[in-house]
Amino acid sequence: MIKRKNAPSLQAIEKINFISPLKIQLGEHTPFFWMKEVPNETARLDFIFHAGTTRGSNLISSLVAGLLFSGTDKKTSTDIHNELDDLGAFFDVGLGHESVLVSFYALKKNILAVFKIFEDALEHVNFPQNEIDELITDRKQKLKINCEKVGFLSQRAFQKNLFQGTNYAHQTELEDYDSVRREEIIEYFSKNYKNGLRKVVLVGSLDEVQVKEIAEKSKKWCLPEKPLFENNFNNNKGVFQLEKKDAVQSAVRIGKTLFNKNHSDFLGFSILNTILGDYFGSRLMKNIREDKGYTYGISSTEAELAKSGYFMIGTEVGSAQKDLAIQEIKNEIERLQKDLVPDEELELVRNYLLGQLLKSADGPYAMTDLFLSVDAYDLDFSFYENYIQKVKNIDAEELRALAVKYLAWDSMTIVIAG
Amino acid sequence: MVKFERFQLSNGLKVIFHKDTSTPMAVVNVLYDIGARDESEEKTGFAHLFEHLMFGGSVNIPDFDTELQKAGGENNAFTSNDITNYYDVLPANNLNTALWLESDRMLSLAFTEKSLEVQRSVVIEEFKQRYLNQPYGDVWLELRPLAYKKHPYKWATIGKEISHIENATMEDVRAFFKKYYCPSNAILCIAGNFELDFIKERVNYWFSDIASGKKPARIIASEPKQIEFRELELERNVPASAFYYAFKMAERKHPDYYIADILSDSLSREKSSLLYLKLKKEKQLVSEIVAYITGSIDEGLFIISGKLNDGISFEDFDNALWEVLNEVCLNPIEEKELNSLKIKMQTARAFQEQGILNRSMNLCYFELLGDANGINEEHLIYEQISCDHIQSYANELFQKTNCSLLKIKAQQA
Repeated sequence: MIKRKNAPSLQAIEKINFISPLKIQLGEHTPFFWMKEVPNETARLDFIFHAGTTRGSNLISSLVAGLLFSGTDKKTSTDIHNELDDLGAFFDVGLGHESVLVSFYALKKNILAVFKIFEDALEHVNFPQNEIDELITDRKQKLKINCEKVGFLSQRAFQKNLFQGTNYAHQTELEDYDSVRREEIIEYFSKNYKNGLRKVVLVGSLDEVQVKEIAEKSKKWCLPEKPLFENNFNNNKGVFQLEKKDAVQSAVRIGKTLFNKNHSDFLGFSILNTILGDYFGSRLMKNIREDKGYTYGISSTEAELAKSGYFMIGTEVGSAQKDLAIQEIKNEIERLQKDLVPDEELELVRNYLLGQLLKSADGPYAMTDLFLSVDAYDLDFSFYENYIQKVKNIDAEELRALAVKYLAWDSMTIVIAG
Repeated sequence: MVKFERFQLSNGLKVIFHKDTSTPMAVVNVLYDIGARDESEEKTGFAHLFEHLMFGGSVNIPDFDTELQKAGGENNAFTSNDITNYYDVLPANNLNTALWLESDRMLSLAFTEKSLEVQRSVVIEEFKQRYLNQPYGDVWLELRPLAYKKHPYKWATIGKEISHIENATMEDVRAFFKKYYCPSNAILCIAGNFELDFIKERVNYWFSDIASGKKPARIIASEPKQIEFRELELERNVPASAFYYAFKMAERKHPDYYIADILSDSLSREKSSLLYLKLKKEKQLVSEIVAYITGSIDEGLFIISGKLNDGISFEDFDNALWEVLNEVCLNPIEEKELNSLKIKMQTARAFQEQGILNRSMNLCYFELLGDANGINEEHLIYEQISCDHIQSYANELFQKTNCSLLKIKAQQA
């Protein structure tokens, strides 16, 4: 007879083998990372530019990011897209506060050719006026549509209050689009891309000769000086309500400015954050979704910036239950501040986090991203060795102390849209 | 090439084992051959509601998630119009935990009034979040019944209306489980660095004592051939008018399915498809336009959708669109473009096949379609498609009488 009542015995995770990518220095402030142990034909090539929204206006930075393949004197944007298509390549441009990430995905045999198309497109981009106009029309429509979403509205208001008084808080309004000049776009591009390369990342088992060629040819874009970032954030505390007529759900965002991996409490707080809201069995999910049924989902995150970071709880709840839901969120935070996390729950979270770390290190792409997520803060894989120790050793008293220190309800920015 | 082994238990459970020596993780994927198309029209949304209840505790285990998390794993599930799929990803040395959990909930669920009540509320919030509280969120609730008159694809997986979920009773739920959640209606895939003998022994241990059940016969109303153009215009409080042209296309196992797939890729090429060049770049009628297929097992839909620029009427756009579609019907695409589409597909496949989770889900899905080895053979079908095939299928597809058009008119514009 099978003993179904008893859980099978569990095995601990013994060791995770971290593999760092190879590092080639392109310029004083620009490394090139190469993960070459890839057991298949795929490859990814990333370029990180010091061209995020805080380098100028939110609007101009976002238009430039959208126009990197808009054409040269010799090629239209359609030509460039066709060339990339012919190589089976996919690409993606991601814009953040502090950087722009351009990623290409292709078979490794095509990566060098993809790079050459990118090099030419970027070197000679001339920002045709019709491409600018077209992008502005699209973006205006998208912004109008987004403003119909309570999630978008709450996120915008949250960021505004989180970063108040800094250029991280700046956001694009509809009317801003009417005064865009092509010269601003060209100027922003020259300043932040031509001499703005912060990092190149290659994942793929390419020939060394090809890798050297990509590295060599990327040197001309290197950033001449060490980038500087803001670290002095102070979120606007209190409750901010945004009315959206006829909304059947309200979007809620609760959080505050905090820190990144360089802070000594980051590791402990990340475990606390997991318990509160960062996995399916978290306290917020268990209470607000699985017990009360107020929402389809609720989570908390610990987000990082170059010199800072923030904590945020996000959910969308039935409009009639929004006050009840916020009260329950407050109750859960207070419970972490008053009571010790029971052993059984803490043990579960320890196992869960180590299992997830093992997963985050599975395969060359995941391993590279894991590496990048420490390298961004001038750390190395020893960070994760420390993390494993912290997960194994943190106790309930320390978690409670962290909750008291960092989760005071009156230190939070609370945004409700709906 | 995705290598795998296949065996079946005496209770009918089909098992696929995919060995991957490079990963420290394991995947346990269970596909149940039950989707929204199997629901009765009076009780829609059940397959999906049920997916939620599958996490509410089984006969011997009060909390599924907790046990898996203790083992360092995580899980999720999805429901489509065709299938319900559950997966667990966990460190390989804890594989037993996932098999214990999946086998126990295949054995029997421990339904409680409380869990039914809570999951009803959660699903209703999901309904609001995805379908009611988003601009254009209700499009599929409207487009399905326009395109399908008989076939159960006429309702969405979330259900036809909220009341069906609100009124779900304990008795309904029990009957649903009994009928569809049994070994003979499931396909299990295990992936990771294991030996076949070990997997056989473990699967036998956990699953062989579950009563086989009877694979439910699928009696689905077939959709009569569409012979008239259908059109529905709705006013909504959105900033831009949107259009959804839905053409009936071949079922999943038909050779034409693959042709439609490539044709949709061709019409969706970013910044270089004919739709984009003519309707956006040249005539500036739309802000966005895409083409895609629904990919369903039975007769599916080939969709062309997008949003109009301010000041453009549906009529102007409609004329221009049909001009382009006629062009597609008259002139075959160039060999060069077809090759480029095929290379792009190869590249996408190479990336998708990297993770064991994707491979496991696909193996189960192809096994459902008839043979798990389809995962390795499908690209050969695509390879053989010619420019003539595409042109000929375009002529069949882009007939006005084969089209259902949903127009969302912007009140704000």
